[in-house]
Amino acid sequence: MSLVGQSVVRVDAASKSDGTLEYTDDLDFEGLYGAVVRSTIAHGNILSITFDETFDFSDFVIVDHRDIEGRNANVMLTDDQPFLAETKVRFIGEPILLLAHRSQRMLKEALKHIDITYEPLTPVLTVQESLDCKTLLYGDDNLFKTIRTEKGEEPDYTALKSLEKHYSTPHQEQLYMETQSMIARYCDGAVRIVGSMQCPFYVESALFALTGKKIEVEQAPTGGGFGGKEDYPSLIAAYVYLLSKKAKQDVKLVYDRAEDISFTTKRHPSALHYKSHFDETGKLHALDIEITLDGGAYVTLTPVVLARAVLHAAGFYDCGYIKVDARAVATNTPPNGAFRGFGAPQVIFGIERHMDDIARCLGISPMEVRERNLPHSRSVSVTGAKIGEYTRLRTLFETTRKASGFDEKEAAGTPYKGIGMALFMHGGGFTGEGETLLASKVWLDLHDNGMVEIRIGSVEMGQGTLTALPQIVADVLALPITMIRYHLPNTAKVADSGPTVASRTVMIVGELLREAANALKEALGRYGSEAEYLDAVRAYLKSGAQSRFQAAYQKPDTVQWDEEHFYGNGYDGYSLGCYVAEVEVDPVDYRVRVSDFYAYNDVGKVVNPMMAEGQVEGGVAQGIGYALYERIAYQDGKLRSSRLSDYSVPLAADLPKLHIAFLNTDEPSKGLGELPMDGPAAAIGNALTHALDTAFDNLTITPEVVEQKCR
Amino acid sequence: MQIRCTINSRPYRFECEPEERLLDVVRRLGMLSVKKGCGEGECGTCSLFFNGKLVNSCLLLAPQMQGAEIVTLEGLQKETETIRENFAKEGAVQCGFCTPGFVMRAYDYIIHEGSKDEKRVKEALDGNICRCTGYQKIVEAIVKSMS
Repeated sequence: MSLVGQSVVRVDAASKSDGTLEYTDDLDFEGLYGAVVRSTIAHGNILSITFDETFDFSDFVIVDHRDIEGRNANVMLTDDQPFLAETKVRFIGEPILLLAHRSQRMLKEALKHIDITYEPLTPVLTVQESLDCKTLLYGDDNLFKTIRTEKGEEPDYTALKSLEKHYSTPHQEQLYMETQSMIARYCDGAVRIVGSMQCPFYVESALFALTGKKIEVEQAPTGGGFGGKEDYPSLIAAYVYLLSKKAKQDVKLVYDRAEDISFTTKRHPSALHYKSHFDETGKLHALDIEITLDGGAYVTLTPVVLARAVLHAAGFYDCGYIKVDARAVATNTPPNGAFRGFGAPQVIFGIERHMDDIARCLGISPMEVRERNLPHSRSVSVTGAKIGEYTRLRTLFETTRKASGFDEKEAAGTPYKGIGMALFMHGGGFTGEGETLLASKVWLDLHDNGMVEIRIGSVEMGQGTLTALPQIVADVLALPITMIRYHLPNTAKVADSGPTVASRTVMIVGELLREAANALKEALGRYGSEAEYLDAVRAYLKSGAQSRFQAAYQKPDTVQWDEEHFYGNGYDGYSLGCYVAEVEVDPVDYRVRVSDFYAYNDVGKVVNPMMAEGQVEGGVAQGIGYALYERIAYQDGKLRSSRLSDYSVPLAADLPKLHIAFLNTDEPSKGLGELPMDGPAAAIGNALTHALDTAFDNLTITPEVVEQKCR
Repeated sequence: MQIRCTINSRPYRFECEPEERLLDVVRRLGMLSVKKGCGEGECGTCSLFFNGKLVNSCLLLAPQMQGAEIVTLEGLQKETETIRENFAKEGAVQCGFCTPGFVMRAYDYIIHEGSKDEKRVKEALDGNICRCTGYQKIVEAIVKSMS
């Protein structure tokens, strides 16, 4: 029986539930603890740094930017972000100095005895201030990136109705349960990095820029990432590297929760403007969309987040003319970055709220509006590519609509109860030419005992990579999963299969592994039983043939992309979601309870149904948090909600029973990691709008917001 | 200051600073199932039994350990075997960082209450945060452990 499609129990479940799996902070450690000295102002020049003479700093290791041998730039898409500030600071929390000491207590004490004086500059704390350009933070317009795309012919507007609305979405904190943690291991002048991360090769390349040398980077068991451990660990790896190099000892740096919430990257807040033209049946004729993201103080991954927002901004609806103007601005707040969904949850909130608003404007059902605008064989996307998924999308829409009993519930109009839908897609893998630029590779090593070893850079961070990828390889080879070995990656020992992000692991890396496994199988020739397999392995290896089987990413013909004009089909494939939320509002305290939730998905072939359900359940929980609970508060550029007691995430009792289904088609597997985060907030916003007959256009919808809207 | 207490039925005698947290002390002594998640009693990753009561060890100070009986997941391996198996089988484990805390909470719930009502189970989990699973499979694993 095929292993792909079975709910194989996670290979790491036992060591995780008995407490024996060692995360970074649990690893054997004998050395110094590190700490970061950070800016206390949002924008300014550093005038002086003084170490209190009455405090003994002699046994501390102190590092500043002058200790960097290579470039003081954390190069991702660009090189604007220094590892350590030199003369200027751009956000509260920007790293300036590093300290290390054997005692964590002394380290805390020492922080009180360092005085940094600044020449304050006007901080730019809001998107509007940034757009006003009175203070320039980046280039000559404060814009990190702009994208403009237009497709189709403008319609004759005279007989059309129009609707113009603003929507907004806030910061969101990833809140992986294990905080950012990194260790530098020192041995004979060389440093090896071990820690919590999503992308070991990103860390390796950041350290290469810092040192001019290839440093070995090893992933430790990682307690969640959700995007928050995509690019950020490069910084903290650099910090332990610099301290360890200077101290000639091991150094460990583990953020406490408040430090992690305050200074690491978050989801980009967005301001969205949707203007639509449609006829009296609700058929869309034109969409004019403006997207503004707050990028924070440095570029980091913002341009790619913006690109993904543009690609998802119009959903998959059929519309003759679509124009998108998108921009990401610089502010003096901590840099924003990757978070599950990566720009899509923001705009899906926009387009899906807007579809409901069109229905409200016409006095028809939101289902009718969606149905009229479902794509067909000639429909093209926001970037002018054919929407090949039109049949799948229609099937998913109809299945969910029926299963949830949407029409009857929507018509019922019960006071303080509402129902709402979100219909959406998510592109798997890197956008545009991204996958081609990554040029991912995989290795499969055949051992003489018949074991097959997966050697790639993709990581387990909770989503199930360590189980799903061996399932795919074992499936091709018709072997039990126990014959497949796969360890957490070390950059010195594995092929660079690209970062563990963008819902690409099963879809892209899994496909490459299938290819490599097929090559292996072909090399071995026919075998029936396991014993015959072992004979075939022995015979093959005895012949002295290559024991490593490789595969590398090659762009499929279907992906054609023109980055300059933002035109073409930007993805290898799309996964689809149709989510329905039912909500109840308490008329006394205005708390909102999601009473029922349908999460129906089409992700092609499901590799491991139990783990796939787990991804959806977790993603929906984060989406419900995004809609109703999670609120980051800044005051004068300082984060005011830096603790878990201030930043509420959903608890078990806050969540409804989820109805989850996969259409499970025989199409190749598509991405699933991000999809379930995209839809819940829009479905909930729509359900609340239905419940209270007043529009909820801005997240987070806290009880205070509901109360105000009901006044 | 010097502390004498028992941890997982073994007597311990050690020196510690008066302001140290129980969490840090038990981790230093090697009980690494006790994780540091938030440090303010919100997430439950550092749960352990303190004189028979399930507590967040980040909220207690080392001097409170004097004479106490402390039990961590390391000392409850046999008792939690069924729960842990069900966590694995039901898909209640993802990144795993919160899992030891949830296993402790599940064990405490089962020995003290044991109602299979999902609502009751969910309410019992209000001191534990999981950011990966959405809790549904954790609840199912706990209910299954009571059958």
